[in-house]
Amino acid sequence: MVKNMPKAVLIIISLLLFSYAQEQTPPPGGTPKDFNLPQKKSFSLENGLKITLVPFGTVPKVDVRLVVRVGKINEQEDEVGLADLTTDFFKEGTQTRSAKDIAEQAAQIGGEINVSTGPDQTSVGGVSLSEFAPQLIELLADILQNPNFPQTELARLKKDYIRQLSIEKSRPQSQAMERFRKLLYPAHPYGRIYPDEELIDSYDINRIKDFYSKNFSAKITHLYVVGLFDENKVEITIRDNLSGWNTGHKHLELVPEPVSQRKIHLIDRPEAPQSTIIIGLPVIDPSHEDYIALQVTDALLGGSFASRITSNIREDKGYTYSPRSSVSTRYRDSFWMQQADVAMEFTGASLKEIFYEIDRLQNQPPAEDELQGIKNYLAGVFVLQNSSRTGIIDQLSFLDLHGLPDSYLTNYVQNIYKVTPENVQRVTKKLLRDEEMTIVIVGDIKKIKNQIESYGKLVF
Amino acid sequence: MKKIDYSMIFIFLTLFAILSCTQKDLNTYTVPVEYHKLDNGLKIIFSQDKTTPIVTVAVYYNIGFRIEPRDRTGFAHLFEHMMFQGSQNLGKMEFIKLVQSNGGILNGSTRFDFTNYFEIIPAHKLETMLWAEADRMRGLAITQENLTNQQGVVINEVKVNIHNQPYGGFPWLDMPQYANENWYNAHNFYGELSDIEQATLKDVQKFFNTYYSPNNAALVIVGDFESADALNLVKKYFGDIPAVDMPQLPDISEPRQEKEKRFFKEDKLATKPALAFAYHVPDRLTPEYFAMGLIDQILLQGEDSWLYQSLVQENGFTDNVNGGINALLGNMFNYNGPILWMASLKHDQEITPDSIIYKIDEQVERLRNNPINKATLDRALIKTRSNLYSILSQYWGFGRADVLACFALFDDNPNYINNLEDGFRKVTPQLIQQTAQESLRPTNRTVLLVKSESSKM
Repeated sequence: MVKNMPKAVLIIISLLLFSYAQEQTPPPGGTPKDFNLPQKKSFSLENGLKITLVPFGTVPKVDVRLVVRVGKINEQEDEVGLADLTTDFFKEGTQTRSAKDIAEQAAQIGGEINVSTGPDQTSVGGVSLSEFAPQLIELLADILQNPNFPQTELARLKKDYIRQLSIEKSRPQSQAMERFRKLLYPAHPYGRIYPDEELIDSYDINRIKDFYSKNFSAKITHLYVVGLFDENKVEITIRDNLSGWNTGHKHLELVPEPVSQRKIHLIDRPEAPQSTIIIGLPVIDPSHEDYIALQVTDALLGGSFASRITSNIREDKGYTYSPRSSVSTRYRDSFWMQQADVAMEFTGASLKEIFYEIDRLQNQPPAEDELQGIKNYLAGVFVLQNSSRTGIIDQLSFLDLHGLPDSYLTNYVQNIYKVTPENVQRVTKKLLRDEEMTIVIVGDIKKIKNQIESYGKLVF
Repeated sequence: MKKIDYSMIFIFLTLFAILSCTQKDLNTYTVPVEYHKLDNGLKIIFSQDKTTPIVTVAVYYNIGFRIEPRDRTGFAHLFEHMMFQGSQNLGKMEFIKLVQSNGGILNGSTRFDFTNYFEIIPAHKLETMLWAEADRMRGLAITQENLTNQQGVVINEVKVNIHNQPYGGFPWLDMPQYANENWYNAHNFYGELSDIEQATLKDVQKFFNTYYSPNNAALVIVGDFESADALNLVKKYFGDIPAVDMPQLPDISEPRQEKEKRFFKEDKLATKPALAFAYHVPDRLTPEYFAMGLIDQILLQGEDSWLYQSLVQENGFTDNVNGGINALLGNMFNYNGPILWMASLKHDQEITPDSIIYKIDEQVERLRNNPINKATLDRALIKTRSNLYSILSQYWGFGRADVLACFALFDDNPNYINNLEDGFRKVTPQLIQQTAQESLRPTNRTVLLVKSESSKM
């Protein structure tokens, strides 16, 4: 390494080494401080709605989120996008508030309101100044319980949705993900990300109202309040504003049976300077006993900056800027994937290195110190995940969705440290079976075809 | 437009008004700030917060992409990557591994007027990270191989974010190039690929020697630590790094814009047309600057804003209009030079840009023609305060470190963070109108229109 350096740099280094020779290794730091998960208070209303309050932080703001167990999973085959369109109406008015009232009243309390729909859950959330926590709860409760679905706004919201989809579907990363999900879930709502324009056009206001009344209710809703707030006032506001909602029924249970085959699915993007790659397959979900070992494995293999795949194709070869692997979870379902946008001319070389790293971990357990570093990293990230208002809500609603006990969090760090090099190897072998991985590539087919055909059967 | 029960709304509004009166002075927040300077000029800012046992260590260098070398566009950013490639005691990948294996996360970024490096780590690892940051402030140890590798990474970064992306660089990278006249403000700061490819080890060393010294840097620690201990550690590791003479800074001023400018950009990857507009804003920390902050809240921030209400809710031109002062690259507190107030939206083919601009003007002119009422001003103030508190709790300690570092670097006064609310409170409706009349002149505006390849889905 040093041989290649110009003379001037070498001189500077030797001078510095001379004056600084006594500090060659990083100081280890002090003794660890205790980290305790923030204290929470949980209770339920008679209609089944669950509430969790977590006092947290020093800056006077509060996050409130109503998480409802409704999502894309509730969409039939001819209802793709209906969950999105339904929740787009939430900010368009309630029985007593116009869209403008909602916007102005949120602003008046230093607030913002965000509504979003995922595969299993819909969130109606907001953040405001602490002093206005009760008003924020009242506003969100109204939005969720009393949307009035004005017919006058339907055409505009459809037009907006169609425009957003058109833009989203022109991104190579979205194209790859849409195809990947379709391949893994051929006959399940998780496989249907984007509706087509005709389908959106076909929805009338009654379809939307029906979707709402069929699916949204108290029993499948959990309210989280995290930050600085007056607990008594907040509790009274919650009881006053959410006790009257109808109980409804249990959430829909529709666990998919995902599939995967080692083939390369190609989406042509002529003249693309990069190839957008997803490689992955179904794995185990968070309720499985090996899930934490899988998380450790993922962080070591491709899921962190210092991981093997990132070290290889970014920091050694320079093929890509932001490679990353991850475990993506839904209720009783999950997949592992490695994503990367790689320089077109290194598409084949990138596949080679990614599979090389997977194979290496299958064939040989990681060194003790490499694994220790990754465990420390995950233990640190765990503290961070539980040290912000939104992070705390994310963690608690994760437990709720997957039906995990509190001990999942309280024992998490301990369980991370129990993972051995042999566990990592075993999990890689058992779960990350490269001979079954689905590969999707969005790129210039003409230019990359020859580079990749030895890595799987090409499907156009 | 919709069926509304007016009596109910009246009650809610009254309730809100009462609450905001009685609770006006409750729940304000003062940022703890402790400021030191070492003999070598290094600025040190501490802000304790013991909510959770973590600390943020952030090192800010007073060099942004604005003043990078003229024949090396994108160099400040490429250089940022080199700071992760090796220093005296930490070889390639060792810095990253050191942070990760001690339970932390890290990143760096290059902005108009600074380059930053930060780690968020378990509280007891403070000393480890101070040692590591000091190690790379002392000097880099980089090979041609490392440089070639990062040229590849950065070129891929530009490709993934710009060249292979619909609306790549729109409007954040494009608009400054159109709206500004002075090269320092108007060049491609992500870099021309040919410039990135031509960078040499000599350039790297020269850039380091020129700008990466303690007297051109600020070190911020936020979180759970003891000030006296931390100060001793900072002195121990940074105290003997020598100061260097700083070069004179180039003139980065912008001439007053006297004529509206309009540009088109062809985007073969875009499926829908898009529109962006930008105005030059008043100088930092002047009364007009604070007025401009409130104007941003009134016109653009949140769904109650005038532009959102008009363009989204009433006219249905778009699903969102967003932007701000120093938008997409920061906020109104973290720059130091001419900057833009900018916004953008995407729309359907059948809507003409002129009809959108007509409606934008309608809202802008409301502000220029009449003073706003008290309720509007109060709401803008509440939104501003809430936004400031959001920044202070953003990304663990990082959002706070960012503002503190900037006021230390640019103004030698990190305590200014606690004067901000006051600056906004002093703004009157008259000042807002005056500021709008000067800064929101049509002749101070640049419009950029994206022409999409097709309007099909």
